[in-house]
Amino acid sequence: MSSPVHSEIREAADSLTHKDDISLVDVLSLAEASIHSMKTFIDSLDSKVYEEFRGIAEYIQNTKLEIGNLQANDLTSNHIPVAGDELNLVVSSTEEATTKIMECAESVLDADSSDPDAYKELVNAKMMDIFEACSFQDLTGQRITKVVETLEHIETRVSRFAAAIGAGDGDEPANEKEAKRKKRKEDQILNGPAKKGEGVSQDDIDALLNF
Amino acid sequence: MAIDLSMPVLIVDDYKTMIRIIRNLLKQLGFSDVDDAADGTEALGKMRQKSYGLVISDWNMEPMTGYELLKEVRTDDGLARTPFIMVTAESKTENVIAAKKAGVNNYIVKPFNAATLKSKIDAVFGE
Repeated sequence: MSSPVHSEIREAADSLTHKDDISLVDVLSLAEASIHSMKTFIDSLDSKVYEEFRGIAEYIQNTKLEIGNLQANDLTSNHIPVAGDELNLVVSSTEEATTKIMECAESVLDADSSDPDAYKELVNAKMMDIFEACSFQDLTGQRITKVVETLEHIETRVSRFAAAIGAGDGDEPANEKEAKRKKRKEDQILNGPAKKGEGVSQDDIDALLNF
Repeated sequence: MAIDLSMPVLIVDDYKTMIRIIRNLLKQLGFSDVDDAADGTEALGKMRQKSYGLVISDWNMEPMTGYELLKEVRTDDGLARTPFIMVTAESKTENVIAAKKAGVNNYIVKPFNAATLKSKIDAVFGE
């Protein structure tokens, strides 16, 4: 590569190598030639490249903004744990209510019916207990609504982030735990309960088994 | 031939509530010797200790699923002939076909009622 600029620097450098006594002026001359060289180089950069860099800088800035909007710390430290707690409470309250109702049913089934009045009194009391136990439904409904709101909150932010960075859907598991879970689901054919109207009915199953 | 109501029955489910429901239904049907296990591994251990006339198992359990249990039972010479009913929420065709291939005797999809349980037990014992 031998541009006029390079020649200028080379000449300045050569003149120094042949001198026994290098003055400050000589060094400054070389520095000036180098600065001139750099300025010419920068000026020669294609404006398209500059635009590319500016675009990348804007993209990074926007991504940083979107990461902020994702509120990841708030999600992991607040929304998700709260949703988990709500679901745990739903599980425990439904289990509690189911146990209570089963206890009532068992005590009615096991009751001595030889004394009609006493039997009627016991059945009435147990029916009232069952009504009370059924009140869990109102609370679980409210708790599940809160969880649904949290999921919507997460969905909104993740969708916006994905759209902002133009993310596609990969099919690789996020970590080893998720990979193991996925493999187990496939190996053990774990589909979980079907949605209402989906899945096969008992009649379909009987036909499939041909029993 | 009437079903022997004194035969030991093993319920395998990781939900105590479901065990209790099936236990009560079996009691209403007249079965008196009913044990339970929380997963396939525990069930297999119990089956090797005691001879059961019927196993009623859920599918989705940790660590050993009911599907794995069924396959283990069918490859164990001492247990292979034990009647096995799957009671599960897994209601995809592929599940039913896989269970059939593995040698299940009957398959009940949750939620179910007492009449369904009775009819499937009757069918297994040729009633």
